[in-house]
Amino acid sequence: MATTLRTKTKKTKAAASSSPAKWVGQPIRRKEEDRLVRGKGIFVDDQKLMGMLHIRFVRSSYGHAKITRLDVSKAAALPGVVCTLTGAEVKSMVKPFIEIGPDAGQKIADYPMAVDKVVFQGEPVAAVVAETRLIAEDAAELVEVEYEPLPPVLTAEEALKDASLVHPEMGTNRNWHGVFEYGNIEKAFQQAAHVVHIGRLHFHRFSSTPLENNAVIAVWDSRSERIEYWSNNSFPSFAAQFLSPALGVGIDQILMKSFDIGGGFGIKITNYPYMAVCALASRKTGGRPIKWAETRTEHMQASAHGNERTFFDTRVALDKNGVITAIDSRHVDDCGAYPRYEPLGCVIWAQVLPGAYRVKNVRIDVNQVVTNKCPVGPNRGYSRMQQLWFIERILDICGHTLGVSNDEMRLRNYIRKEEMPYTTPNGCVYDSGDYAGMLALGKKLIGWDDWKKKQAAARKEGRWIGMGIGSTLDSGTNNFGQAQIINNFAPFSGQSKAANVKLDIYGEVVVSLGSVPQGQGHETTAAQVVADVLGISPDLVKVKPGFDTEQNVYTGHTGTYASQFAVTGLSAIHGAAVKLCNEISRLAAWALKGKEKDLEFAIGAQGPEVRDRRTKKSINYWGLANLVNVNNAGMPETLWDVTLNCRHVYHAPFQVPDVKRKYGNLTLTYAAQIHVAVIEVDRETFQPKILAYACVDDCGRTINPRIVEGQVHGCTAHGIGAALMENCAYDSDGNLMASTFSDYTPITAMNMPDLLYGHMESPSPFSYNGAKGMGEGGAAPVHTVCAALQDALYSSGVIIDDSHNTGDSIFRALQRAGSGGFASMVRVEHPRPSR
Amino acid sequence: MYAHPFTYHRAQSLGEATKLLHQLGEESRVIAGGQSLIPLMKMRLARPTALIDINFIPRLSEIKDHNSEVRFGALARHADIEMSEHIAGIPILHDCASGIADVQVRNQGTIGGSLAEADPSGDWAATLLTLETSLVCAGPQGERLVQMDDFFKDAYTTVLGREELVREVVVTKPAKNSGGAYLAFKRSACVYATGSAAVQITLDAKDTCKDVRIVLGCVGLTAIRAKQAEAELRTKKIDERTIARAADAAREAAEPQNDMRGSADYKRALVAALVKRAIGIAVRRARGEHVEAGHEYVGR
Repeated sequence: MATTLRTKTKKTKAAASSSPAKWVGQPIRRKEEDRLVRGKGIFVDDQKLMGMLHIRFVRSSYGHAKITRLDVSKAAALPGVVCTLTGAEVKSMVKPFIEIGPDAGQKIADYPMAVDKVVFQGEPVAAVVAETRLIAEDAAELVEVEYEPLPPVLTAEEALKDASLVHPEMGTNRNWHGVFEYGNIEKAFQQAAHVVHIGRLHFHRFSSTPLENNAVIAVWDSRSERIEYWSNNSFPSFAAQFLSPALGVGIDQILMKSFDIGGGFGIKITNYPYMAVCALASRKTGGRPIKWAETRTEHMQASAHGNERTFFDTRVALDKNGVITAIDSRHVDDCGAYPRYEPLGCVIWAQVLPGAYRVKNVRIDVNQVVTNKCPVGPNRGYSRMQQLWFIERILDICGHTLGVSNDEMRLRNYIRKEEMPYTTPNGCVYDSGDYAGMLALGKKLIGWDDWKKKQAAARKEGRWIGMGIGSTLDSGTNNFGQAQIINNFAPFSGQSKAANVKLDIYGEVVVSLGSVPQGQGHETTAAQVVADVLGISPDLVKVKPGFDTEQNVYTGHTGTYASQFAVTGLSAIHGAAVKLCNEISRLAAWALKGKEKDLEFAIGAQGPEVRDRRTKKSINYWGLANLVNVNNAGMPETLWDVTLNCRHVYHAPFQVPDVKRKYGNLTLTYAAQIHVAVIEVDRETFQPKILAYACVDDCGRTINPRIVEGQVHGCTAHGIGAALMENCAYDSDGNLMASTFSDYTPITAMNMPDLLYGHMESPSPFSYNGAKGMGEGGAAPVHTVCAALQDALYSSGVIIDDSHNTGDSIFRALQRAGSGGFASMVRVEHPRPSR
Repeated sequence: MYAHPFTYHRAQSLGEATKLLHQLGEESRVIAGGQSLIPLMKMRLARPTALIDINFIPRLSEIKDHNSEVRFGALARHADIEMSEHIAGIPILHDCASGIADVQVRNQGTIGGSLAEADPSGDWAATLLTLETSLVCAGPQGERLVQMDDFFKDAYTTVLGREELVREVVVTKPAKNSGGAYLAFKRSACVYATGSAAVQITLDAKDTCKDVRIVLGCVGLTAIRAKQAEAELRTKKIDERTIARAADAAREAAEPQNDMRGSADYKRALVAALVKRAIGIAVRRARGEHVEAGHEYVGR
């Protein structure tokens, strides 16, 4: 399997591109920074177009209710209001969005606005369009809506009962079901020395909190019948594939543009329903631009949350040494009210089915349910973090139960460096990595042995200090073929990215990205790659910010998601740069009356140039671009194909998985994050305090270590926030309890520990540059913090069964532990007692 | 996130502000730092028809060391108080001022505004109730002095008349052998605390507790004076046993509610722990030790 994945990079004739990397690997300052720190970034809400109108949504205050009356007449009559939209009207203008899932899921009628009933708090029921944002807000208050509440479905358990249905047309709340079974489960359990049964585990709902909320400007021009979008959607090709059939507009007529985006983390992929309504409003107002800039409360209530997952009936088989031989479990994923990227999450976790471990026999029964909560969207670490958290909990619970320390438990179970590339039971290929080596580095950074001594001394004083390890795989460059495991009619597979590199008329080197950067520094790393190919410096490479379909650098996979730019985006840019380099070489050989083999790429007195080593003659980029673009009489016909404007599409080397067996390679690269934490739980306030924190990352060859370290810091903050603070909790009526930052409490600098950072490089054999995508190690601290809390509190009878832990929840867990809650949670059998 | 339309009026004196409140009617509001009012207006939970800006009234933000008192103008910003040399002998004020919300709020929010707002989770009420504090209030009938103990009536409700404003907060300097501490536990920088405890202890020559005040914040409709907890310490030797009894009494005195900050039971446990620690710090400070204290956060 592994060998089929090796990519062959064509050797270029150009001398410069075979020279060793000068810029790739350097921690150069980001090109974007100057613009962004000086306030020169251009975000959607900064744009003001002639005749632009503002849209404001009227949203449901109920989680589940029938709409019994909706009257927009008072709003429509307010001076400055141009039009209104209701769900019924929207329904008459569009087709429901396509559904990815098969069977029951196909029956969902997902309109971008509620029609007869609302299925989550914050769902839009009407919209008003006005000359100013203030008028729109005033008008929205005048829309009269009456509801008849229905019983809300709020947990996995309730949803499975099908007593109250979120979408009656589905006939069930079960959106998808499948069993992922590999190896020989029953045999493994029969032969086990220990079998550990674990009760209900729960991975909570949290989200990302990008500084910039969702925002869209839409113009539906009735003359050209084109829809132009300026948005911060981070996966515009996906959005267009949903919008085109819903709006009845050819996909080539939908233009997508982004410039600066203030963070996304996946959450902005599913803002397309709002993009649809904005287009309809533009059409209704005769093609005037419509701006929607989401408020923070709207973002919290009704953009997207991360997937919530509950794990039932877990059985773990282990041999006498504590090596896990089998895992059997039942998982229920809660995708909220509409499966808008789902049920892809029902397979994406399988990219990391065994986590970082060698377990061969795995059976996981997966259900996904719809509930009366905000629809989910991909959230950094999407669907894999839930699985990794589950596996890490198993490791810790089994380790504590059997008396094996948590570092030893991992060392006994980790996939070994020498086993790489490693094929998992479900056919995924871990490209490279040294998890034990990373753990050793993490332990060294944090001073593990010293802390062990301090911990033992502290325990004698009655203090609760825990040491935890979290092993996270950041699988990157996804194979969309896994969608066919969800629905074998799904017409997607593989992965691709496009890019364009050109010499413009005055000889400028210009790169058009086929990605949608949201703060990942793509302009910088792209410039580093191009600079190395052409033998120039990154500041001589102009990288256009943002994405624009008009630049024709997209494929159906275009977007920034799934930890892949360093592989897919840079491979496309590298390929385009090599093509350009070859064209320059051919052109320069003719212009200098020399031979290509004698040419060298360099920087001369007049900027970048090509020199003939033999004749010492040279021609600069302006001269070359001039010859092709505006001064081309006399050029030989053999050079007429030279345009100095080179597009390249990178294709990841994937096969369609075996859908029946649910087997195949689902991602190309596996970056890893091993985090180590020491946490003390205060005996009186029950508050967890992080005493020390180390993160070790390995994302293969790094393009820019500064950017990588920054992403690791950001991911770590996100994960610590998720583990200890951030929770999209609902009350029993379906009200989101965290609709402002006062209640959601995203992590602040005051909560962050100092981070110890370590870095290793296991080059990927599957990318031209040895790089692996990264940036989605977001949940690494969730596993790590839970592991440390488990270590701190196991002896007090607490099993950490939730990914979200606060002083309050720890206080209550300790109270439950006192009343015997532990025994029902974990049970051990010894079918074959070790001799 | 746009407020309902309102008119804006800039008062040049407290007298003018009072007159404007009268003229502009029931729906007019005074704005000082705006750190509570503006978010409420943006969320349209507050819809004043007129705002009377008192930020341009001269000398209303001064902090003065006045013999046995420190006098804080109503517009003294939390950050001004944090940085003021005049509070050197009253460390509990520094504990409080230095951790209120985040830097932006501290730079803008005012002590007078915070007290007049009477949010059950405000930091100043608990802190100032442990000290001899009085408020100079100015209204249409002139000025009156209100003792801090009499100021709060209920959540968001004080004894201030509709056209009456806080002009000055007067704190009597504690005795030399007195020390205090304010501890508040917060989930993140920009939010109200989950629970807080303010303690001011005066020791006598034999190192026993001559007098003490213990006040709990965020666990009731107003800050709660834990009188039984005080009784457990007053005239007694402060040791592990009496501190534990005081903490238990504080737990009983709390009247918290379940919310996103925590369950009621948890908040009782939390304030008991904070009271215990605050007593310890207050005693050390009363003995002349320098001890850093203030707000604590999830995670560190």
